[in-house]
Amino acid sequence: MIAQRGKVKVITGNSAAAYGAMLCRPDVATSYPITPMSEVAEQLSSFRANGLMETEMVEVEGENSAMNVVAGASIAGGRTFTATSSWGLSFMYDAVQHAAGFRAPIVMVIANRESPGILAVSGGQQDIISVRDTGWIQIIVEECQEILDTVIMAYRLAEDHNILLPVMVNYDGFYLSYMTTAVEIPEQADVDNFLAPLKKQPARQMLEPGVALGCGTHGIELGFVELRYRQCAAMERAATKLDEIDCDFGEYFGRSYGGQIEEYRTDDADIIIVASGGAAGTARVVIDAKREEGIKVGLIKLRLFRPFPRRRLAVALKGKKAIGVIDRSIDFGWNCGPMYMELRALTPEIGIVPMLSYIDGLANLDITVPHIARVVDEVHAAAKGKSYQEVTWILLEE
Amino acid sequence: MIKHKFIFPSEGAWSDGRERLLCLDTGSWRVARPVLDKEKCNYCSLCALYCPPQCLKDIGDYYTPDLDYCKGCGICVRECPRGALKMVSEGEFADDSAAR
Amino acid sequence: MVEQKKKPKVYDYFQEKEDPYAGGVAWCAGCMLELTARFIPKVLGKDIVLVGCPGCSAPVLYGQNLGAWHRMSYFSALMTGVASSATGISRYYRKTGREATVVCFTGDGCSADIGFQPLSGAAERNEHIIYITYDNEGYMNTGYQRSSTTPLGASTSTTPAGTVGHGKPTPAKNVPLLIAMQGAAYVATATLSHLDDFAKKLAKAKEKSREGFVYIHIFAPCVMGWRIETDMSIQICRMAVRTNYFPLWEAEDGRFRLTNEVTSPRPIGEFINMVRKFSHLKEPDIAEFQQMVDRRYAVIKKLCAVE
Repeated sequence: MIAQRGKVKVITGNSAAAYGAMLCRPDVATSYPITPMSEVAEQLSSFRANGLMETEMVEVEGENSAMNVVAGASIAGGRTFTATSSWGLSFMYDAVQHAAGFRAPIVMVIANRESPGILAVSGGQQDIISVRDTGWIQIIVEECQEILDTVIMAYRLAEDHNILLPVMVNYDGFYLSYMTTAVEIPEQADVDNFLAPLKKQPARQMLEPGVALGCGTHGIELGFVELRYRQCAAMERAATKLDEIDCDFGEYFGRSYGGQIEEYRTDDADIIIVASGGAAGTARVVIDAKREEGIKVGLIKLRLFRPFPRRRLAVALKGKKAIGVIDRSIDFGWNCGPMYMELRALTPEIGIVPMLSYIDGLANLDITVPHIARVVDEVHAAAKGKSYQEVTWILLEE
Repeated sequence: MIKHKFIFPSEGAWSDGRERLLCLDTGSWRVARPVLDKEKCNYCSLCALYCPPQCLKDIGDYYTPDLDYCKGCGICVRECPRGALKMVSEGEFADDSAAR
Repeated sequence: MVEQKKKPKVYDYFQEKEDPYAGGVAWCAGCMLELTARFIPKVLGKDIVLVGCPGCSAPVLYGQNLGAWHRMSYFSALMTGVASSATGISRYYRKTGREATVVCFTGDGCSADIGFQPLSGAAERNEHIIYITYDNEGYMNTGYQRSSTTPLGASTSTTPAGTVGHGKPTPAKNVPLLIAMQGAAYVATATLSHLDDFAKKLAKAKEKSREGFVYIHIFAPCVMGWRIETDMSIQICRMAVRTNYFPLWEAEDGRFRLTNEVTSPRPIGEFINMVRKFSHLKEPDIAEFQQMVDRRYAVIKKLCAVE
């Protein structure tokens, strides 16, 4: 580890996100209040008002503007940051797609909350799912320290000249957004050093007054296809790039998170539980307890959701006898969990094994130790050949 | 196997007007063209100012339409305070078209 | 040869001699948007950063694959995000100490309707932007559908005059007045028949955009959508001013002033008769229209009297 030890502060997840952003010195940042992330905006405004950062803060009149403002600033050449949740994310949907197509390296944190459709001021991951096809890189984190660290890593990823894609850092609304824990705030100089390699790379295209370069040309026929292809190719490269950056971060700051996925006790496991966000923390507790009982179970914490970490998952899941996936959202159309659905698509690589979908944690209802214990038991039974229910809405079966 | 030769030199949807511009043959839209009676012109420049494609070329003491781009809208004729311009059907110049 | 006139005063405002647009671009013959688009960089300079959105300007403002139709820097924004994208660009330049003129250039469909929220937001925050609307009173590029600046009674493709329908049932939004009421640094109306006035306002706009938000609203008739002859566009602009249908005013830091006061306005019928989108209007409709024009003008006049 090369970085100095940072100061430890007892702060919320929202605050950790704001600190992460501040340390990366964005040129322009926007904010619009929405529960449960309003504090991110407040914290950034406070940093600005107290001279702790020189970022141009724009208190916009709606989330759609929040995204458009940073898109404009990003294409003009600036480093940018914004934050939102569920409904706000839906409101900026067109701008979210726009930013990705324009290859604007924006970093946005999202405090996950149930999306519009059924009014809920409560946590859930439906908002992540609602934007999975926008072309953004999506990472899901488990704890407050990880929020701060991942925001820093997100800039290294987004602005990499081989990537140039915007990044969403997702954390559980209400659980992480408001949870107060000890978080180590890295020193400014160390963050500057960690991001310094970006300066050595070739500069990206940006707007230049007086120069006949325009962003947002019409894509005509093969021109369109080419642009789309390049966007996808960059997305593909982002998976391994995240692993590299996570490794670098670990070497520099002494903390790393596994990159695309974290594998916990999976090497000798017979069965695997897949979870994301704060639920992964609870899952580890259950994994350890079940191991004591003799069940060889492991956990995969899904961090990178887009691009989907298919290669690393294929390797990690190969040879396992059954897989249980805990989703905090719904895949409309397949009536199961979305992450479960995407893991099912790995069947050609891992073979046909029992895969069980669990829908849990909607509307701020907890994903508890007993829930996960039930998941492990049922997956264990399925691995032994017992018949199983493909999709379980745990909350409705209690 | 990708056979397409990439046309964009950088990532993202950028157009580049630094070396050359796209240009349409808008002169071919015309069905009539403005013709100037130099005797009546006092070089007030209103025709040039009001021309939407800005194709009236300043010759020094009068203006003449750039026939590559004149769309034949007739605004210059309508706005000339001295009635020095009139629209003449393209048919009258059919012999010239080959030379253009 | 008649004695030569001096060149019109408008030339004094021109910063650029060369037109940054290609000679031949796909705007209709007689299009007032084309005249506006080519006029703007003459006064503001060609090192402006243009922010546009879908509409009649897009096919020329934006490139096609790698090719471009003009030599200016541009950003193609969403229709919902013009003023907001421009805000981001402007704020970045301000932060990095770069003097740049960011110019939003959209139709009325964006400013008055789908893009109104961010326009209002940017105006309220006093962003250093010049927002220019070319008002052709409808969504012309998509087939002449009505917008909220379409005037009362106008026949459009979505408010057609027929046996039951009589054109747009509601009067137009007065967007420049709304933005002026928000306290923008400089707001002005202009049109293509009065080019001196337009140039002067553009020059003022550049100056005021260093302090705050500037909004310019251009009356720009559409040959196709309004069903007028290609050579009549400037005449219609002139008549709009002479009837007080489109009064030319400006509001600098909230102080209103008519920049071209018409002492004996022509009856609105003279304007209406020039534009076939009104051809179904009867005497009572025209009388109602006249009342509406008079009232709107009276409001502006009253505002001019406020110190």
